[in-house]
Amino acid sequence: MSNTTEKALNLLRYLPRVCISNIRDNPGAHKQARRGRGQHGGDYHGAGNKGAKARQSYTRLGYEMGNNPFYLRFPFEPYYKGHHLKRQYPPVSLLNLQKLIDTNRIDTTKPIDLVAIMNTGLFRLYPDQQHFGFQLTDEGADIFSAKINLEIQWTSEPVIAAIERAGGFVTTAYYDAQSLHAMINTKKFFERGIPIPRRMMPPPDAIEYYSNPANRGYLSDPEKISKERLVLAQKYGYTLPKLDDQILEMLKERKDPRQIFYGLHPGWVVNLTDKVILKPLDEELKEYYAS
Amino acid sequence: MLSNISKNLRTCTGYLHKYCSTSVAAIENKSNAIEPRTLAFPPKYQDPRQIWLESLDTIDQRKLALLELHPAVFAASPRIDVIQQNVRWQQLYRYVSYAHTKNKFEVRGGGRKPWPQKGLGKARHGSIRSPLWRGGGVIHGPRSPTPHFYMLPFPKRLIGLTSMLSVKFAQDDLHIVDSLELPTDEPGYIEELVKSRLWGPSVLFINLEDIMPRNITVATEQVKHINLMPAYGLNVYSMLKHNTLVLTRAALDHIENKLLENLHMNDPKAVLAKFKVDQC
Repeated sequence: MSNTTEKALNLLRYLPRVCISNIRDNPGAHKQARRGRGQHGGDYHGAGNKGAKARQSYTRLGYEMGNNPFYLRFPFEPYYKGHHLKRQYPPVSLLNLQKLIDTNRIDTTKPIDLVAIMNTGLFRLYPDQQHFGFQLTDEGADIFSAKINLEIQWTSEPVIAAIERAGGFVTTAYYDAQSLHAMINTKKFFERGIPIPRRMMPPPDAIEYYSNPANRGYLSDPEKISKERLVLAQKYGYTLPKLDDQILEMLKERKDPRQIFYGLHPGWVVNLTDKVILKPLDEELKEYYAS
Repeated sequence: MLSNISKNLRTCTGYLHKYCSTSVAAIENKSNAIEPRTLAFPPKYQDPRQIWLESLDTIDQRKLALLELHPAVFAASPRIDVIQQNVRWQQLYRYVSYAHTKNKFEVRGGGRKPWPQKGLGKARHGSIRSPLWRGGGVIHGPRSPTPHFYMLPFPKRLIGLTSMLSVKFAQDDLHIVDSLELPTDEPGYIEELVKSRLWGPSVLFINLEDIMPRNITVATEQVKHINLMPAYGLNVYSMLKHNTLVLTRAALDHIENKLLENLHMNDPKAVLAKFKVDQC
């Protein structure tokens, strides 16, 4: 508590009882509304006096008064092609992640995935705005020290090096929009009472990223990933820490490429009211949801 | 614990000089039976405040134990301005102004031009109900119904409550009782009690549930300045209206926990989303 609060409370002991007749807002907290004459308070509605601005009759955007406008001067701009369809990965930095771990918002004894990050309640993801998960950026890489099993949607080489130097594992994994909707608000999804969808395979232009062991892609060969870990350790000049048997099992845990939640498989229905999990029995369904 | 209480008692004598009629021995005998409070979200940087637990069984004040109060709720910054904003909000959100005036077209008559435009040497007029005329319409007059509803932001409502409780506590206008049970249903008893304990004419009793003990309900039914309220109805305006606020211990626990929970809200955005005015 600040000294000011203490003083104020102490002062109140010697003042008359606070009641409706002796309270007021801070002086100057509210500006008295001007009583303007005329229909709308006698004002120009912020548009000023006379001319195109007062009449809000601006020239259209990009128009250059008879010149060939800039936006028409060049026949086409290929680098903008399909920009509204490009996948977006909002950033989360290693510094953020370390802070979440230090403040007990993320449990490192379990694998960390998008659900764990969303459950902190500090990040927002909008799949309808082409958000396809988070990218982990390298800010705070030099102080990152948590031993974690992380699954993220996009990352870079220095980040992978920082995590693996600390004794952790990182996987990059793709989630389609429908899967992301289920992961963003898990409780809301389970309350809908629909089966957990199966995760879709990445689109053709993303397959290369997610099957590259250098990116720790979830579709790449685990043995190649082990080799890449050594390569990266040599490149960045660190030795991979020896792994504890106790947490090794947790660190080695990976999702199936069709799986969305750890411990839950596609096709299952989680009933929160009765606290039961319903699994499909029909052969056709089993085949549909199989990996 | 006893040494702790007597130490606390020494520090509190300055605070509670006007209530120190009961002997310390009597308190210490009783205090064994009463459990001390455990504070949720234990304060890290401030000392808990202390208050006597009293009883309504006798007219004279009888101290049962010393209770601890959370400083985030009962020693918060006394924001008089936020209290005023809360009061204004509580007065306005339910207020609908029914003041009404008729405009030129609603006033009866006046559909006909009173005299020709030209040739009479008189001012030109189109209607006898023009606002320039006596008995004509009113320009920009009040229109009925005009609601004055608005929502005070949630944090301000929260700060209003903690400020008001802190002010009541700082001014010795807050009392904690073990329950609202009275030995009799005579209105004279409660009035005498309030008078002898210097609780001021108006007192607000807060119970945890909305079903109050029978005796106090009957005794205060005809007394306009002694009121009962359930804990969920606690508000800044009512606290301000009454000289003294009396909480039962159960109500104190409930109110303190609820306020602390909201003060330490982890993700207010998700919780407050449904209270947003412009939902999209």
